[in-house]
Amino acid sequence: MSARSRIGVFVCHPADSDAGPVDLQAVTAWSAGLPGVLSARLVLVKRPLDPLALREEIRRGGLTAIVIAGYRPGHYKPAFTRALAADGGDPDQVRLASFREHGAMAEHALERAKAVVACAVHGVPFSLAAQPESVPVNPATLVIGGGVGGIQAALEIADAGHTVYLVERQGTIGGHMAMFDKTFPTLDCAACILTPKMVSVGQHPNIELMVLSEVQEVQGRAGDYRVKVLRHATRVDADTCVACADCAQFCPVVVPSEFDVGIATRKAIYIPFPQAVPNAYLVDPEHCTWILSDGKKCGACVKKCAKEAIHLDAKDEVVELQVGNIVVATGYDTFDARRIERYGYGAHPNVLTALEFERLTNASGPTGGKIVLKTLKHNKRTKSDEWVFEPDGPRPKAVAILHCVGSRDQNHNAYCSRVCCMYSLKFAHLVREKLPEARCLEFYIDMRAFGKGYEEFFERIQEEGVFVVRGRSAKVTERDGQLYLRGEDILADRVVETPVDMVLLSVGLQPTADADRLAGILGIDRAEGGWFNELDSNTEPTSTERGGIFVAGACQGPKDIPDTVAQASAVAAQVLQTIVSGRAHQGRRHLTLEDIEKSARALAAQ
Amino acid sequence: MAEERIGVFVCNCGTNIAKMVDGAAVVKAATEMPGVEVACAYKYMCSNPGQELITRDIRDHGLSRVVVAACSPRMHEGTFRKAVERGGINPYFLEMANIREQCSWVHDDPAAATEKATALTRASVQRVTHHQPLEKRSVPMCPATLVIGGGIAGLTAALELADADQQVYLVERQAQLGGNVARLDLTAPYLDSARDLLRDRVTRVTRHPGIQVLLESQVVGLQGFVGNFRPTVKIGTGELLHLEVGSVVVCTGYQEFDATRVRQYGYGRLPDVITSFELEAMLRRGKVETRAGKTPRHVAVVHCVGSRSREFHPYCSRVCCMTGLKYANEIKSAIPEAYVSNLYVDMSAFGKGCEDFYKRTAEARTIFLMYEKNQAPEIRLAGTDPEGGMLIAMKERLSGEEIEIPSDLVVLMVGMEPRRDSDEVARLVNISRDKDGWFIESHPKLDPVATTTDGVFIAGACQAPKDIPDSVAQARAAAARILAKIHQGMIAVDAVYAEVLEAHCSGCRVCNELCPYTAIEYDEVARRSHIISAACKACGCCAAACPSGAIQARHFTDQQIFAQIEGVL
Amino acid sequence: MAVRMNPGLVDDLARYGADDVTKCFQCGNCSAACPFSQDPFIFPRKPMRYLQMGLEERLRSSLEPWLCYYCGECSVECPRGAEPGETMMSMRRWLTAQYDFTGLSRLFYRSWKAELLAILLVSLITGAGFLTFGFLRGGGDLSVYDGPGAFLPAGAVHVFDWTMGGALLALLLVNCLRMWRFTMGGERRPRVPAGAYLRHLLLLPWHFFTQKRYAECGEKRPWATHLVLMLSYVTILVLVMFFLRDLQFGPEIRWSVHALGYVASIGLITTASLAIRGRLKKDAPYHKHSHESDWAFLVLLVFVASTGVVQHVLHRAGLPTAANVAYLVHLMGVVPMLVVEVPFSKWSHLAYRPLAMYFARLQAEALAARAGRPAPEPKPQLAT
Repeated sequence: MSARSRIGVFVCHPADSDAGPVDLQAVTAWSAGLPGVLSARLVLVKRPLDPLALREEIRRGGLTAIVIAGYRPGHYKPAFTRALAADGGDPDQVRLASFREHGAMAEHALERAKAVVACAVHGVPFSLAAQPESVPVNPATLVIGGGVGGIQAALEIADAGHTVYLVERQGTIGGHMAMFDKTFPTLDCAACILTPKMVSVGQHPNIELMVLSEVQEVQGRAGDYRVKVLRHATRVDADTCVACADCAQFCPVVVPSEFDVGIATRKAIYIPFPQAVPNAYLVDPEHCTWILSDGKKCGACVKKCAKEAIHLDAKDEVVELQVGNIVVATGYDTFDARRIERYGYGAHPNVLTALEFERLTNASGPTGGKIVLKTLKHNKRTKSDEWVFEPDGPRPKAVAILHCVGSRDQNHNAYCSRVCCMYSLKFAHLVREKLPEARCLEFYIDMRAFGKGYEEFFERIQEEGVFVVRGRSAKVTERDGQLYLRGEDILADRVVETPVDMVLLSVGLQPTADADRLAGILGIDRAEGGWFNELDSNTEPTSTERGGIFVAGACQGPKDIPDTVAQASAVAAQVLQTIVSGRAHQGRRHLTLEDIEKSARALAAQ
Repeated sequence: MAEERIGVFVCNCGTNIAKMVDGAAVVKAATEMPGVEVACAYKYMCSNPGQELITRDIRDHGLSRVVVAACSPRMHEGTFRKAVERGGINPYFLEMANIREQCSWVHDDPAAATEKATALTRASVQRVTHHQPLEKRSVPMCPATLVIGGGIAGLTAALELADADQQVYLVERQAQLGGNVARLDLTAPYLDSARDLLRDRVTRVTRHPGIQVLLESQVVGLQGFVGNFRPTVKIGTGELLHLEVGSVVVCTGYQEFDATRVRQYGYGRLPDVITSFELEAMLRRGKVETRAGKTPRHVAVVHCVGSRSREFHPYCSRVCCMTGLKYANEIKSAIPEAYVSNLYVDMSAFGKGCEDFYKRTAEARTIFLMYEKNQAPEIRLAGTDPEGGMLIAMKERLSGEEIEIPSDLVVLMVGMEPRRDSDEVARLVNISRDKDGWFIESHPKLDPVATTTDGVFIAGACQAPKDIPDSVAQARAAAARILAKIHQGMIAVDAVYAEVLEAHCSGCRVCNELCPYTAIEYDEVARRSHIISAACKACGCCAAACPSGAIQARHFTDQQIFAQIEGVL
Repeated sequence: MAVRMNPGLVDDLARYGADDVTKCFQCGNCSAACPFSQDPFIFPRKPMRYLQMGLEERLRSSLEPWLCYYCGECSVECPRGAEPGETMMSMRRWLTAQYDFTGLSRLFYRSWKAELLAILLVSLITGAGFLTFGFLRGGGDLSVYDGPGAFLPAGAVHVFDWTMGGALLALLLVNCLRMWRFTMGGERRPRVPAGAYLRHLLLLPWHFFTQKRYAECGEKRPWATHLVLMLSYVTILVLVMFFLRDLQFGPEIRWSVHALGYVASIGLITTASLAIRGRLKKDAPYHKHSHESDWAFLVLLVFVASTGVVQHVLHRAGLPTAANVAYLVHLMGVVPMLVVEVPFSKWSHLAYRPLAMYFARLQAEALAARAGRPAPEPKPQLAT
């Protein structure tokens, strides 16, 4: 086929953007020498390509097939298709060679780019030609991250009867989901869905759970990875501890609770939350008096523990694991609302972030789920006045919810965080449900209710009497103790400045602080926004360039719970497939011209 | 009957139950009930400490029966059975009182709700004393899988399983594989080649020794039960093919909304109003033209056709927005001098790379016009000449202006809807559909690909509108479940099922027709009906219908049910 | 009656500077961030919307662009980098061109070459004119300094000034009238009773001389600079128009006039050079983008002011010939500045802005009256 067709290769690139990792000149020159290629030209595109000019060029060159190469060749395809078809050419003979799609971005960019072009010239889908080779696989699996994604993947693999090492940085598994009260759009409680799964993980014979641990080093290849994991000492023996809380009762050190995102406190020896798994206490070495004083002071907990489960002198250890596959499910961090001063987070006590509100409205939160305003209270311990939530604190009369905080904003994160619209609607519902008298306003740009039952939920919220305002609110100000919100109500064609008691900032999602470090350790790359990059955005959303390493959930890009669970299960399938078949897949093969010609012949033979 | 020692465990479910039901009161009442040894309440009974509580009390108080007053058994009966088992007694010595779905969530009078909760708890207490110890059994798992539908999801599921060396039967109605993706040229947001990604998959599937592709075929019957299904496939030649599989994956996808239903768009009446798929075909041919063969100068892309509407489908079809942007880019590329406007409601650019795609499209001079949900624009001819171009009249919300947009070509972004035959399929494989007709997953978060029928999974757009990556993920998720089961070789089946007391059976066969799970066989020789326990879902139809009371539903004995009723009264 | 769109408008505006408006996704952040944006004049989002959609007539009849003083806050906070501030600026340029019936403004704004050419042409004509006139007259003696006397019969310069001034004023007035027709006419506008026009007439000088509104921007510095520049300019204009002789002829110095002149010149030069420096260093959001017309304006200003000072110094230093030459050069700057810039380019805003404030107030009042609301200074209202 390719022998008979007269091919023109056009390497297209926008003139105003930088050349990227691939040497475009080199690819162009190289592809001119490929069999069947009559001409190869580098086109630096200033204004949209003119199909009529292309038609002329195609006619003059007597071309019967076109290969468009570049980072985004698809953007030029319709022009070429029109040009080729204009003189009766076969429109199906316009082929794409996308460097971005096929990963000619990192190292060996040039070689990969050449292979991609050659595949297009021979009319072979690159992904088909580059089918990975298989190697023997170690049936054990490492799952990094104990959020709902990691839990799901771990359970699926372990249920199939295989060893899973689940590494979690925090003192408990559960991730962000464990902090939530309700989940949209069904409003069933997060705990009811998650905690049983957490229990199964804790009790699963095939899962070795490592909390307070982080991956330090990864060596080897698909099917046979050697991993170093740093296990920080919890300093409490999880098997003997019965979580009786005696130790914490007598611990003198009070610090903000991470699990309650700072709106409640914990001791230096603590359990992240009552339903934590493992259900045992931990010692926070940054704050424990005994540790800070090298064993000279305090140690009250040790004396109080009837089970003698506390060993403050326990040391961190590094364990080495041998695994065949690695599942990365490290999730996300939320955007730091302080970065947008005009919203007044940090300056005004009753401007809250989404997570803070999740905890506030949560039955296991500091107010038992009551939505109240912070009140100024004197703290005897620190001898200072502090803004705190009291179960009997005043109820807000007006609550405003601001969408897209840190999202869809090129000054911060240009991408959409995908979940905020829906969780904001959920907040609105909770406010209306718990405070029927309170006014509730939502300021949004586009309402993205795309999932099963989401749009219906949006409708329901409006019927519940929530004011949804189309407009990105600009600032929160305070005048004599009253918060005011200024924003444009676009559809009502006016600028509103409205008094509110509580402002909820729907902060977006962003890659975890250590995503870069982890990417380095794992040898996988990151895409726009810093999320882990998938192998192919369409067909391989959970694979990475590196065979045997998979990504699931929000660490690959913002995702809601159902999508995360689905991805986690998908990864489990990919892992199980290698275990069941006994073959792991290396990353995409490095293709030689021979390889490509071979697959071309095979394809033609069918 | 020996005196049972019963433990009652009341769950507050955060505030879900606590907000209406006074747990303490229920506990207090429970302690009064006959046989109740201990009673207590906890915030989350299903959590680690909650379950610990149960197992510990079983040991410490030597409980012989357990009642958990919490959510619906559908949610966590399994969870608590495990806990009870860990406690050292038979898992079927558990009874759940549903004081959430059937009480706190549906009432608004705390006093009455608490009273009802107490009644429900009493019912369970009385019932549980009559529980029999039952044994779970397991049946062998047939490793082969039937995949219904050869679209992107079906192809992925098939490959995933076959690459794990498992036999797959891929049944596709059409003469070729690919489903709706086969109709696309490029994918959003990166404008990658849909054809290449499909060629890759189709080639691998057709080449794969482990996959038997059955084109122009359809499943006409499905007998058996999890691990041992016996599907009947009518293949192209018309003959019937009888297969044996352990699992079924339904990937029947979607069909596009019928644009003629939106009258004011004039689809079918106005020559140059076309659907997204028709434009797709034009783009593939390289000829984006009006019916009269002119090159359009003004093109309008209308979003949400049939979606997000009171009149048609309430839901958002999830992919149209980005596809609409894709068309804006493609049209600009094919016809640089053309003006493209996108008429939308909300721009759903939520996927990876999508917001950036939205911005690039805007920078490429695409005009975005916002109309109000349920107030679709009107399309009419500009003049009398049907080829003289059209005018779209709409209220543009962001400017507040009534505008008229000249257009030579209008593209309707038709949404997704369940396939015409989805109810057939649902009945065939015994799964349920939601109000919109999409197949229902067993739980959106706990279990997005499983269904109420063990061994039958759903993946892709037949469950709800989905784009390619999400369909692929779901297809793999289904494969994961199946691979896990295959690897274990055996599957546990619930010990709760109905059985025929052969002695009493008159062989009237009333039950045979009634059974919705086709779990009842008739033994011609013995003239007795026989229930395949593994297929039985213990719905009780047969037991209720049997004129000679020969059918006994285990765990739902008359004794147990009467006791329960007495308890409530 | 539905309005038609002109999809080409965006491209047209791009030639006036605004090429980022397509990036805008209409979130309304700018309107909320802007301290001036309030009912019934909501901007920058709304006019940007008109622009995106190509609603030419709507944009032409908008006062909003003139109500913006370009503090740049909107641009800083814009999530899409759509540069609302600069877009408003470009709209002002476009509107100026729309108001100008001669079409010259449109020509100058869209092609800096044309503008430059015009400036040079007028400048040369002026120079040549004066010289030839001076020599044809014979008596002209460059070594004797008597102001324009070296070139023209005494007093002729005044006649020249006044005719030119008159002509320019007429031009400007016609354009202002067109502005009035565009913005106050049309069926969409509320009818404003003649009485209201009179009642609020004082708003014109008030806004003109205080630029009070500008002072309400977050930052005060730009306002101060702008005010000084404007006042200095006006002072000098008045001095030249009415007290030219007292400035030019010596030997005795009338300090009353001179002091004013000196102060104004210093003000003019410093503020103008500050602006130039700012634009070169792009030190503030409102200095990020510079259209050719901005440069032409500032450069001419500095040129004219400094040459004026030079010739004055030379004259006072007793160097008549040099003074004469400097004076000629000075005039070669003054004339094109007045002829090209005032009616057809950036300077016309000294008329349009106060007018816009005035009209805006009238409309706000009329609208309020129509809705039966109390009018003055409509503050942002509360959501219900």
